[in-house]
Amino acid sequence: MLKLAWRNLIAHPIRSILTSASVCIAILLLCLLRSIVTTLDAGIEAASATRLIVMSSISLFVDMPVSYQQRIEQVDGVDVIGKWQWFGGYYQNPRNFFAQFAVDPEHLFDMYPECQLDEEAKQRFLSTRNGCIIGRKLADDPNFAWKVGDKIPLVGALFPHPDGGAWEFEVCGVYTSSAANFDERTMMFQWKFFEETLRTSGQDPGVGVFVFRCEPGANVERIMGEVTAMFENGPMSVRCAPESEFQRMFISMMGDIPMLLGWIGTAVFVALLLGCVNTMLMAGREQVRDIGIYKALGFDDVTAFRVLVTQSLLLCVIGGAAGIGLTLALKPGIAAAIAAMFPVFIVADETLIFAAVLIVLLGLAAGIVPAWRASRMKPIEALRAEH
Amino acid sequence: MFIPLNYTVRSLFVRKAATFLSVFGIGVTVAIFAGVLALQQGFTTMFTSQGREDVIVFLRPGATGETDSQFQRERGMKLMKSLPEIEQTPEHGPLASMESYSGVLRRRPDGGEVNVAFRGVQQATFTIRGDELRIIEGRNFTPGADEIIVGKKLVERIQDCHVGDVMVINTTPFRVVGVFDHDGPFVSEIWADLERALAVLDAYGPNRVIAKVKPGTLIGDVNAEGGPDPASLAGRLANDTEAPAKVLTERAFLESQTQMLGGILLGLGMALAVIMGVGAAFTAINTMLSAIASRTNEIGILLATGFRPLPIFVAFMLETLLLCVMGGLVGCVLVLPINGIETGTMNGQTFTEVAFAFRVTPVVVGAAIFFSVLLGMIGGLWPALRACRMTPTAALRRT
Amino acid sequence: MTNAMIRVKNVTKSYSRGGETLKVLNGLNLEMDEGRFYALMGPSGSGKTTLLNLVGGLDHPDSGDLFVAGANLSDLDGAELARWRADNVGFVFQGFNLIPVLSARENVELPLSLTGLSRAERKKHAEYALELVGLKDRMNHRPKQLSGGQEQRVAIARALATDPKVLLADEPTGDLDRKSAEQVLDLLVRLNQEFKKTILMVTHDPHAADRAQSIVHLEKGELGRIEHNAPAAAK
Repeated sequence: MLKLAWRNLIAHPIRSILTSASVCIAILLLCLLRSIVTTLDAGIEAASATRLIVMSSISLFVDMPVSYQQRIEQVDGVDVIGKWQWFGGYYQNPRNFFAQFAVDPEHLFDMYPECQLDEEAKQRFLSTRNGCIIGRKLADDPNFAWKVGDKIPLVGALFPHPDGGAWEFEVCGVYTSSAANFDERTMMFQWKFFEETLRTSGQDPGVGVFVFRCEPGANVERIMGEVTAMFENGPMSVRCAPESEFQRMFISMMGDIPMLLGWIGTAVFVALLLGCVNTMLMAGREQVRDIGIYKALGFDDVTAFRVLVTQSLLLCVIGGAAGIGLTLALKPGIAAAIAAMFPVFIVADETLIFAAVLIVLLGLAAGIVPAWRASRMKPIEALRAEH
Repeated sequence: MFIPLNYTVRSLFVRKAATFLSVFGIGVTVAIFAGVLALQQGFTTMFTSQGREDVIVFLRPGATGETDSQFQRERGMKLMKSLPEIEQTPEHGPLASMESYSGVLRRRPDGGEVNVAFRGVQQATFTIRGDELRIIEGRNFTPGADEIIVGKKLVERIQDCHVGDVMVINTTPFRVVGVFDHDGPFVSEIWADLERALAVLDAYGPNRVIAKVKPGTLIGDVNAEGGPDPASLAGRLANDTEAPAKVLTERAFLESQTQMLGGILLGLGMALAVIMGVGAAFTAINTMLSAIASRTNEIGILLATGFRPLPIFVAFMLETLLLCVMGGLVGCVLVLPINGIETGTMNGQTFTEVAFAFRVTPVVVGAAIFFSVLLGMIGGLWPALRACRMTPTAALRRT
Repeated sequence: MTNAMIRVKNVTKSYSRGGETLKVLNGLNLEMDEGRFYALMGPSGSGKTTLLNLVGGLDHPDSGDLFVAGANLSDLDGAELARWRADNVGFVFQGFNLIPVLSARENVELPLSLTGLSRAERKKHAEYALELVGLKDRMNHRPKQLSGGQEQRVAIARALATDPKVLLADEPTGDLDRKSAEQVLDLLVRLNQEFKKTILMVTHDPHAADRAQSIVHLEKGELGRIEHNAPAAAK
């Protein structure tokens, strides 16, 4: 029977190919759009439960005084703490966007085990005053193609260099990331270099966020409460939250766009589904005569029905499998294209399984109506049908 | 010499189910394309429709927007006082104003969080804006008081945003005393007195200075190749040794703030159009091939009658075009209800949320129809070629 | 000889089907006079329809020459052939082959749109042709709303519309009941008698063939005997 269904398909090669290709595109889009949502959520899921973030209660636009660090450190149960400041510079042209942070390097690798760098590079980073480390994807970006030892000049849009020129950083290492929430398109450099440079013109840099880790077994709720209470009366009130909540805030800030993407995905799928059902209906109509012949030869209704449904399933499975394959094949390219916005592009197994289930359902749904119609037809009527 | 048009039209309507499914499928495709375009149009016009040519914006040199620009207060004062190009009025002095800009995290009604633009302004801002900005509820804030006015579009998008509510920013409670309307992006902002804003933000100075310039001032284009004309205001200030500044008209400034999100939306629209367009073209090809297969003997009789392949090609091409344009019209009808629906997202350039409405403009409708015509051209080519290349004897044999 | 409307000279035609070459016409020679009604008979595969298609300029012979209505068809290219068809021949098929989405009048008008006639003249011609076949009152009906015999008469009206010299009919009565078939044959005879159309009709049916003035028999691609009937006065 499979052979018969297959023969029927290759009897109309163009239609079969086009239909399969439509299914392939529908599945591809579906996988991609779902993957964007997965990607957005990935940061939350991969967020560390042991790391807590302290930021200004106003927003990330506003800095906190450096002196907060000692005060947070003194809270009972706080293990290690580090400063992060968004540098907001650019390389040659504002369009060459990537994230740069001034960080405390001492506990960086300890607090972020997902940031992987060999020991030698770590030491080089710690001992180079204007040293920086960059992520693998940033290093591999063809616009930059930086390697260890390169000097990177950055225009400090947010923090102009006191002498009016560019900041210069030396690449000490290229890190890789083992988790979705740690971006490989980021550059990190030493806080000390950042602060000392600005001080030459009397500027006093603030801190964007503090990240700290609690001691094992410490009461996280209590610590968050204490830190928040400590600065309640200023000069800058803060909020303290687990990393996951911080990530959730970022997604929430995207507004309606993720929801819109979901809607678009659904609509896209419906549009292409209509196309597929249409083709299957046409195929069914044209095969009425063939079905008549099968019946005249002694096939029963059920067999005729099965042949047509198998045919529809076969088309959808071939197209769908190609769509899934294409998704996986395109994954690296898409990841590169959206790298400026999303650190990673995750195609979850769940997405692929969902797509596979949908393919089978689509095949059944598209095949059932024409199959039912054709199988109920009397052989003589079917034979008489010309078009 | 050509096959009558009613042949084409009726051929489509005789296959009701197939035509309906195809038209609807193509319609949904076109609607998605048009919807994303309507989003982009809504976003871009919000910024570009309001930018004034007689208002200039001063930023710190090298800054790309307000978020990464900041002045010492004295430098701002110097800019405002020393430039002869700035318009003067007897009662207000120079028509120039320092403004601070920051994002403040607010709760959405559903509990999510959002970064809202928080702008501190001097009274001259209101003089410069004139009728552009209208208080539609309550009153304006009193200079020096912990009072704020909010843009109309914010009222339902964040908590504690009605007149009489209190918003705590850092440690200071601000009372909402008024709601204002504006056709540009200010309508998604919270405004307060500059001095109070700087105090709660713990900031040393404003993020930008705006000024109304005298008519006929040569402002210059900072984005020009090789820098702005040295004789222009922008050229002079770019190289000023004491108080350098980046100068651009408000229009140019607002346009520069839309590039990232506007580009992303346009890119998304194009990417979807290409991917879905392929799918929709396949649908059209399949429909037409099926139509041709069932009408082979019609083609045979047309050829036997003496019609040349060209009119037959044209007839089938027209049939596909008609199919797709009907789909395009259905798409426009489907997308029409979203016109005016409010939505909001983070503007990647400012990191604050901007609320705007979908706008189904003539540009959107035109692009949608163009898209459907393109689909028809692509989808019709092959089937029409196939139809017109049939030989009469072969076409007639298949009865 | 002088009045030959159709002259077939040494025509061969073969088709390849499934790798095998099938010789359908084998050096056929035939002449048909102007204004006569011919029936073409022969068993399946004898080349009747092939000959009809060649005479109608729908197909080219492998070798030999065809002179129809004063033209040497071998000299004409595709465009000229189409033009020639539009002016000189009308086709009638077993399956009627009306365009289902067009009304009877619009079907008849179709070949007229290839001529330089104005819209009003086209309409007039079409109505006249339908009147000839006795279906003027049904001219706004779609093919589906007509009986088989009526459909075939509309098809004949369509073949007549441009006033061609030659009518080619391929089993025109094959799908019709006896009564409808008689009406169609009456019509053909009348067209031959009153309007002096040269008619070539392929048929299986001896009754139908008897209405023609001459019966040409084809056998395995070669000419068999030719019978001449008594003057085919309307019965």
